[in-house]
This record gives sequence, C-alpha cells and structure tokens, in this order.
Amino acid sequence: MSDLNTLSITEASKKLAAGEITAVDLARACLEEIKKRNMDLNAYLEVFEDVEKQAEAADVRRAAGESHPLLGIPLAIKDNILIEGRKVSAASKILENYVASYDATVIKKLKDAGAVFLGRTNMDEFAHGSSTENSAYGPTKNPHDESRVPGGSSGGSAAAVAANMALGALGTDTGGSVREPASFCGVVGLKPTYGAVSRSGLIAMGSSLDQAGPLARTVEDAELIFNAIRGKDPLDSTSIEIENSKSQNTNNKRIGVPRKLLAQGIDADVLQNFEKSLDILRAKGYEVVDIELPQASLALAVYYVIMPAEVSANLARFDGVRYGLSLKGESLFDDYAKTRGHGFGAEVRRRIMLGTYVLSSGYYDAYFGKATAARAELAREVAGVLENVSLIATPTTTSPATKLGEKTSDPLAMYLLDIFTVTANLTGNPALSVPMGTVSRDNTDLPVGIQFTAAHGDESALFSAGKELQ
Amino acid sequence: MISREEVLQLAELARLKVADAEVAGLQKDISNILEYVGQISALAPKGNTSAKAEELPLCVSPLAARNVMREDVTRADGDTMGGKEEALRAAFPKKENNYNVVRKIIQKDE
Repeated sequence: MSDLNTLSITEASKKLAAGEITAVDLARACLEEIKKRNMDLNAYLEVFEDVEKQAEAADVRRAAGESHPLLGIPLAIKDNILIEGRKVSAASKILENYVASYDATVIKKLKDAGAVFLGRTNMDEFAHGSSTENSAYGPTKNPHDESRVPGGSSGGSAAAVAANMALGALGTDTGGSVREPASFCGVVGLKPTYGAVSRSGLIAMGSSLDQAGPLARTVEDAELIFNAIRGKDPLDSTSIEIENSKSQNTNNKRIGVPRKLLAQGIDADVLQNFEKSLDILRAKGYEVVDIELPQASLALAVYYVIMPAEVSANLARFDGVRYGLSLKGESLFDDYAKTRGHGFGAEVRRRIMLGTYVLSSGYYDAYFGKATAARAELAREVAGVLENVSLIATPTTTSPATKLGEKTSDPLAMYLLDIFTVTANLTGNPALSVPMGTVSRDNTDLPVGIQFTAAHGDESALFSAGKELQ
Repeated sequence: MISREEVLQLAELARLKVADAEVAGLQKDISNILEYVGQISALAPKGNTSAKAEELPLCVSPLAARNVMREDVTRADGDTMGGKEEALRAAFPKKENNYNVVRKIIQKDE
C-alpha cells in the first residue's frame, strides 16, 4: 500500500468505495511523498496540519453512507483560491499573512464532495508569469528535471500532481496558467468555458479571462474535478450552467489544425509528437483538416493589452488600508506607494504600470480600444471555425520546459511561452492540454502537451479526444 | 522608448514606489512590450464592425450580460457582515477598540 499516492483519482475512488483503502491511507501516502520531495521541488508553500483529520472526517462520512467520486481524495490547491480560516497569499509579500474569511465557491463544492485539501501550492505572484519563478517564495522546480521550470503560473499544482504529491489539483488559468504547466509537467490541465466555473473566492487577475480548472494525471480525473466544481453561482454573475453534453457536434469528429500558425517557432521534435498524436486520432476515427485563424497571430498582442489593463484595476485594492502589508510613509500617497512598491514583486509592478499606460487617456484608443475590437473579431473567427470542426488542435507550448532563469531577464520572451494558450481565454472557449509523449533535452526526457479547443460549453468534446490519447 | 519621466508618471498613477535603479530597466521592458503589442494598432479601425456585440461571449462583450437580482435580506443587529466581523477585523493592519486605524485624510488648507 506504499504507493497509493500514484493512483489516479478514478482508481483511488474505486478502492475507497470497495473499502480496500481509507482516505487516511491516501492522505498519509501523499504526505510521505511531500516529505521526500517538497524540500527540493518547492511545490507546496504550506502543507496543512490537519490533513489526516480531514481524511478521517471523509472516512466517517463514507461510513455514514455518503458517496462521491472525490470523497476522501487528497487535492492540492493553488495559493490564490480562498479556503476559510487558512492563509492565502497569491505567492506575494503583500498578502503574506492574509487569512481567508470565506470559502471560494470551488472550495465549497469540493468540501461538499468530501475532498481533502493537502496544502496550498506555489505560483507566480498573483498568477503573473509562465514559469513560477515570479513567486515571492522561490521558484518551483520541474519534477522531471529539477534544473527546469514547471511552467506557470499554476506551477506548484502541476508539479505536485506530476510528482505524486497529490492525486489532483486546482489551478487558475488567465492566459494558459493551467495548460502550460500541465504541458511542461506531463499532466492533464483544463481551462473551462468562461463562466462554467464560479470565480467567487479566486484572487482576481483578469476578470474577463480568469477560470479555475483542474490538473490531474488522467483525462477522466480532470473531468471528475470539473464536474464537481462547475455550475452557476449567485456570487459570480458571469457564471453559467452548462448542460452535461451540449455537443451539437456529437457525430462531428473533425479536428482543425491552423497550419499557418504552426509554420515557425515550434521545436521540430515537438511538432513531430504533435503529428503522431494526430495520426493516433485519425486511427480512432477523427478527420483532421486544415483551418485558417488569421486573427490568432495577434492573440498574444491583444492579450498583453487586455490582461495588464484588468490587472491594474484588480490590484488597485491592495493598498494596505484594511488588510495585508501596510507600510507607513510621509503622507497618505506615500503609504500607498511604499506598501505597493515593497509588497509587489517586479513583474507585478511591471504589469500594473503597463496596464496603467494602455488605459491612460492619450493611449486608450490605440491600445485598449483596438485590443477589445480585435478580441471580438477573434471570438467570431474561432466560433466560425468551430461550426465546421468540433476541435482545434495545436501543441500547448512551442517547446518543452525551459531552464530555470532562461527567460527571467526578458519579460517579452517569457510572455511568448503563452502564444498558443491565450486565445481560449480571450474568446472564452474551453481548452484542454493532454500529454503527447516526451522529447529529449540534455539526455532527459521531457513531457510536452497537445491542446484542444472546443466550442463554448463543449468540454465533453475535449474529454473524448483527450481520452483517445491516453 | 518611453522616457524616464513617463515611467515615473506611470508609477505615480499606479501608486507604486519605484527605486531609482529600476527606472532604466522599466523603460526598456515596457518599451519592448509596447512595441510588441503595437501590432494591433495596424488593424484598420473599421475592420471591427463585423462582430455583432450581443452575439459575442460574455467575457468579450458585456452586452450579453443580464442583471442578477436577489431579495433583500434583513440581518440581525450586530451581524451586518454575516458573522465575518471578527475575521475581517483580525486582518486590520492597525486596530484600536475594534476599529481600523487609518491615516487622517482631511487636513487644514495651507
């Protein structure tokens, strides 16, 4: 029973239901693995002290007749998702000792299901980054090669799942922050349809882009977590109810590949794995066709206008007046500037200033106005393509995980890691990253992912295709 | 490249203290990013009219949004925050008799 932590959620759930194992056994197995590896990987910022107690409570609930696929399943939670009474810092100094006063809706749902929370995982500060190197508490390392990044911003969650320190995890995805680390760590990551999952209780980054999503070792597991956390929520007026399988495309097994976008900038072996995956899907009855997405080449530029604009507005609340770090200066203005100047890390300050710039009166039309119009065009374009195909496929990232420190000196180079993932956030479509084998770098096999995008509410098409690749 | 003064102006607008040594780096980084995102300004202004705003997803256009109404609920005296008072007070940076101490903002004209 020593390797219970390596089970998939689906397997563990069966064993729990059959009485072969207990939630306490599972929790202990994860805690042991955390003890062995977290010092090196820095995936968890905090491991909760009451994990075994939570697991005992889950066992009691099961003994009393409850059953849910997540009852007693140990999960890791990204440090920007509120759990009442526990610290939540968004990996920032400005919220170092902040304690959540309520549960995020996703947490409430997972508590109702009976999941066990192992701890809070490392991330880029306020989710600003693609490598988890922007954490105020040191970078997380990739379990496949500790000289490499796990991706970001949900890098701690992805590393925890990949290193068997949790059976699954929650992350958040504003421009690829679930899918990109899933690709780099060799796990499955879902960015749900915008509105499918409530944003209440997530520390906001870009409110028109943010979605919480699962990271897991199998597509079935990601689907289980998604089904547990989704649903309309009165506390998030942008949330929507999605029917179980909306798919008007049930019989349409056609995958579109935007060949022009893939023509340059992708490592040759990553592209080879991508083609191999398409071959597997062809063998399973999918048709693969070429599509055009002319606006998509602008997606990253559009994203890096919209996102910082929303960041600059959302992060204005951290002023040291009611909670968090509070430093005193010579004047009220100084109090704010000192608190925010010291509390926020370099990338967060850069994004706030960039957002301030694109929203300022002289530049608003040229940047934010144009970006909003381009975003609308992009949404229309993607929706149009998805009338003819049920899925759009690309590699999730252009390369496997990069070296620690490789991109930290050039913010723009770091941003380019998100080139294939930002589109789904801009258009609100659901997107899934699934492992598509490994490529070799410095004699180490590193995982890479394939990304599928589907029509709004058609997560089931993503899961179906993803399962074919396992 | 954006100027040193522009960076300082942005920092002021954003209520951020920026160390002197950081300014040159910010000038370079922000300029690089602006140059990259500047691709979008090449879009023709009237190429934007083909999308019907009300048909766009909610995250793209607020026109699809509807107000969400709920009943007013009376809460008991002393429970205006639904039992969260203590948790919220505990987070105050400086507390005095259950009040959050903030800087005096009304000052005499000079």
